[in-house]
Amino acid sequence: MPTTVIHPALLALGVLLQSAGMLAVAPLLKVAIKKMKASLQNRQGPPWLQGYYDLAKLLRKEPLRSETASWVYVAGPRVYFAAAIAAATLVPVLTAAAPLESAGGILLLVGTLALGRFALATAALDTGSPFGGMGASRDMTIAALAEPALMLGLFTSALAAGSLNLGVLVRGLVAQGPSFHPSDLLAFAGLLIIVIAETGRIPVDNPATHLELTMIHEAMVLEYAGPDLALVEWASAVKELLYLTLLVDLFMPVGIATSLAPGALLVALAAWALKVFALAVVVTLVETTNAKLRLFRVPELVSVSLGLAFLALAVRFF
Amino acid sequence: MNPAVGLPIVMALRLATLAATLLAARRARAARLIAFPGSAAASVVTMLTAVSVLRSGSPADGVWFVHRASQLSLSYSVDGLAAWFLLVLSVVAVPIAIFSIGYCSSPHFSRRSAFIGALYNVLLGAVELVFVAGDAIAFLFAWELMTLATAALVATEHEERESRSAAYLYLVMSHIGTGCLIAGFLALASASGSLSFSAALSGAVAPGPTRHVLFALFFLGFGVKAGVIPLHIWLPEAHPAAPSSISALMSGVLLKTGVYGLMRVCAFGLGAPSLSWGVFVVALGGLSAVLGVLYALMQHDLKRLLAYHSIENIGIILLGLGAAMMGLAYGRGDVAAIGLAASLYHVLNHAVFKGLLFLGAGGVVMATGTRQIEQFGGLLRRMPWTGLFFLIGALAISGLPPLNGFASEWLTFQAFLFGFRGSTDSLVHFLFPLSGALLALTTALAAACFVKAFGISFLALPRSRAAGEARESPAVMLVPQAFLAALCIALGLFPGVVLQTLGGVTTSLTGGELQQDPLWGGLGLGMTSGLESFDHLVPAMLGAAMAAGLAVAVALTLRRAGAAVRRVPTWGCGGELTAGHEYTATAFSKPLMMIFQAVYRPTRQVEALAEASPYFPREVRYHAEIEPTFQRYVYGPLVDRVIKVAAGMKVLQAGSLHAYLAYVLVLVVGLVLLVWWRG
Repeated sequence: MPTTVIHPALLALGVLLQSAGMLAVAPLLKVAIKKMKASLQNRQGPPWLQGYYDLAKLLRKEPLRSETASWVYVAGPRVYFAAAIAAATLVPVLTAAAPLESAGGILLLVGTLALGRFALATAALDTGSPFGGMGASRDMTIAALAEPALMLGLFTSALAAGSLNLGVLVRGLVAQGPSFHPSDLLAFAGLLIIVIAETGRIPVDNPATHLELTMIHEAMVLEYAGPDLALVEWASAVKELLYLTLLVDLFMPVGIATSLAPGALLVALAAWALKVFALAVVVTLVETTNAKLRLFRVPELVSVSLGLAFLALAVRFF
Repeated sequence: MNPAVGLPIVMALRLATLAATLLAARRARAARLIAFPGSAAASVVTMLTAVSVLRSGSPADGVWFVHRASQLSLSYSVDGLAAWFLLVLSVVAVPIAIFSIGYCSSPHFSRRSAFIGALYNVLLGAVELVFVAGDAIAFLFAWELMTLATAALVATEHEERESRSAAYLYLVMSHIGTGCLIAGFLALASASGSLSFSAALSGAVAPGPTRHVLFALFFLGFGVKAGVIPLHIWLPEAHPAAPSSISALMSGVLLKTGVYGLMRVCAFGLGAPSLSWGVFVVALGGLSAVLGVLYALMQHDLKRLLAYHSIENIGIILLGLGAAMMGLAYGRGDVAAIGLAASLYHVLNHAVFKGLLFLGAGGVVMATGTRQIEQFGGLLRRMPWTGLFFLIGALAISGLPPLNGFASEWLTFQAFLFGFRGSTDSLVHFLFPLSGALLALTTALAAACFVKAFGISFLALPRSRAAGEARESPAVMLVPQAFLAALCIALGLFPGVVLQTLGGVTTSLTGGELQQDPLWGGLGLGMTSGLESFDHLVPAMLGAAMAAGLAVAVALTLRRAGAAVRRVPTWGCGGELTAGHEYTATAFSKPLMMIFQAVYRPTRQVEALAEASPYFPREVRYHAEIEPTFQRYVYGPLVDRVIKVAAGMKVLQAGSLHAYLAYVLVLVVGLVLLVWWRG
């Protein structure tokens, strides 16, 4: 069994550090993508710290809530936020071990994110506004389609590495040394599509729109304001960072620290930042060069991902 | 408690309760207060008996009655598998009985209290007998008693045409199944020379091809009861028609008698399963899971929606069982043990959360007088406790951590992945990842469906006057729901305890050892079973992390003292927001209907009634329907064929007594000749 006995205090410290770190970095990623997008459109983007300014402003604002809403509306963003942080501790970031890896692996990660989504979608129905329902319906629809493709993509990597536990998986990959199998490319492409869908980016959803007919995630959280909205925005940013980190872990774990030596950690930090940034460039390029798909064309995109994942499995194991 | 002592006590309690209920039949209140507490007491004894067998790990059997001349005996046998199902039965039967005390006092059911109470006892007694029966005769007797009691309960509201036809459909389908079972058991008995399970189900008693025929017969017989697609058509009719407490029992436990039969006979009673059987069970499990949840999404009748989810969950149970059968077929006892453990764990979980959801639905239907989700809305304010418990049930059935549904689905995934690594068969390599993907799809669709079911019913503004005036259920109905909700959480946080309890059952049936990860004890799931370790799960740790995360979220949004939350009206697009603005259940599931058009084949009619210009309609009528595929293409033609054959056979039914006597004579002579000729 891979579970080694870790001192509870050390475990708590690891969880604390990683979740705080992810919370601290996540707004930067959002801004980085915005800036790159802007420069591709010959615009000047927001300042690097804009994400933090926005969160600080929202957190200071007076909380507004609908008269028709119940406690579910209040609980929604909080559970969403908690799920995002909990999920962030299930993924190895700098070290080839996730702080909470003894709680579970890939399946728990997907389940935790699904819990957050469930909470937010349910809360969206609470104000009685038609937009909330519209967003919740679309978000759950896309999630339902994306989940099998996500699972299949993750299974391919897990079966190749011999474990569904992310810590064990990454350690296995590191021990293997740099290797390349054609199935990696297929699985990576399949998962990238799902990551784009799950993080609400073009061509699936447009994070910058508030046009009623096209918005998905934004429609779901349209009624939220002030501190409640800050939680949602922050958690979404953490989720995005988390998905990119997951791709990095599965396909290019080069540089990840295998010990807690300061030098190794510094190298790991630089490598991680570089790799996530590279992925962010890819996401930005996809977002800039594509138009948003109609909702009913999304299943086609997802089935491409499903097909790629199956091909990856076939290439690897038949 | 030893079964030799426990079982007679249970039966005596049931019979005494039944007699007392019938004596008090004229006084509804007295009948209720005798029937349900009496039944709960009997169920508690059942639970103790089941726990003692599971704990000791040694099966108990004995003989009730022997007919000397024919050597016919009625016997019982409580092994681990039977004890597990008895435990599942009694865990939900007790809260349902308590709930029924309150539920049957509603004006709607009050005068039928004695009827429901008496049959409730008969039904539970019959199910208990099904699980403990040690031979085919006792089993079939109990099976039939169970079917008849259920049919009577489905027809409780027999003034309604809908209830009568649901009960009729249930009877017809059940009897097709029972016919297959009788044929199967007779064939087994003639091959093994004994009606007792210990001989007839001891392994491969039937040679080669006969074994496959037997498997098919038993699968058909038990599959009908379990509601496996395509044998499910009675289920979405019968479950909503019955009183809600009975629906909870039907969904939670009665379907499981089919699963029990599939395990007892099809999976582990006919010798080592062949790979094709496993593939068949996995395929039908996957089909039931996905189609069940897809049909559930389109239902706007709360109880019918829950009924379709039962089909889905039976599918998930079969996925685990099928993986176990395939594992046995290619010689991996450890894979089989994980698959079977997943399947049995989900049997318990489904009983708990579906029981909870049906009880909640019962409370809502009682309070509003309708089952239509579109007529609810805003119920959380009027019924806060029912709403909370329903939400917990919804989270559990959606397979979300750290609740119980997640734990068993996690184990099912593990079975597929372990199974994949444990085999080099390309069929396995294709089927297991595909099944994993189907399971993921099912879970995600279930979550979408329960966002709809909970959100549209309990949140925002009431959509009808009845919903606006709903009253919270009395405590006697809420406490059982609280118990089941707590169980959903406990079974999710302590999966290791469940796995330890199941260990004996899975080892005795599959030969595979489930070794618990000792580090986390009852809190964790993790196997070290010969295979390379795959993953492990400690839901409580996630629960702790979630709690910490919630604390951070609350701390971040903590208001300064004195600053109150400002309450404002929801933006109603320029007008005042009314219930008419709200997103409906139909609208919520519309994108999925469009995406899965090929499955639903929806038809819609829009009719605009205009007076002068077609651009200014006075009224728009909209009618949408999804195609009842199985009724139209499978059962419709089948029924037509049967009626045609029956009409043809009318020639035999001449109405003349002489002719009938002649038939009897010819038959008897024919049989005598046959016996003489065959020696």
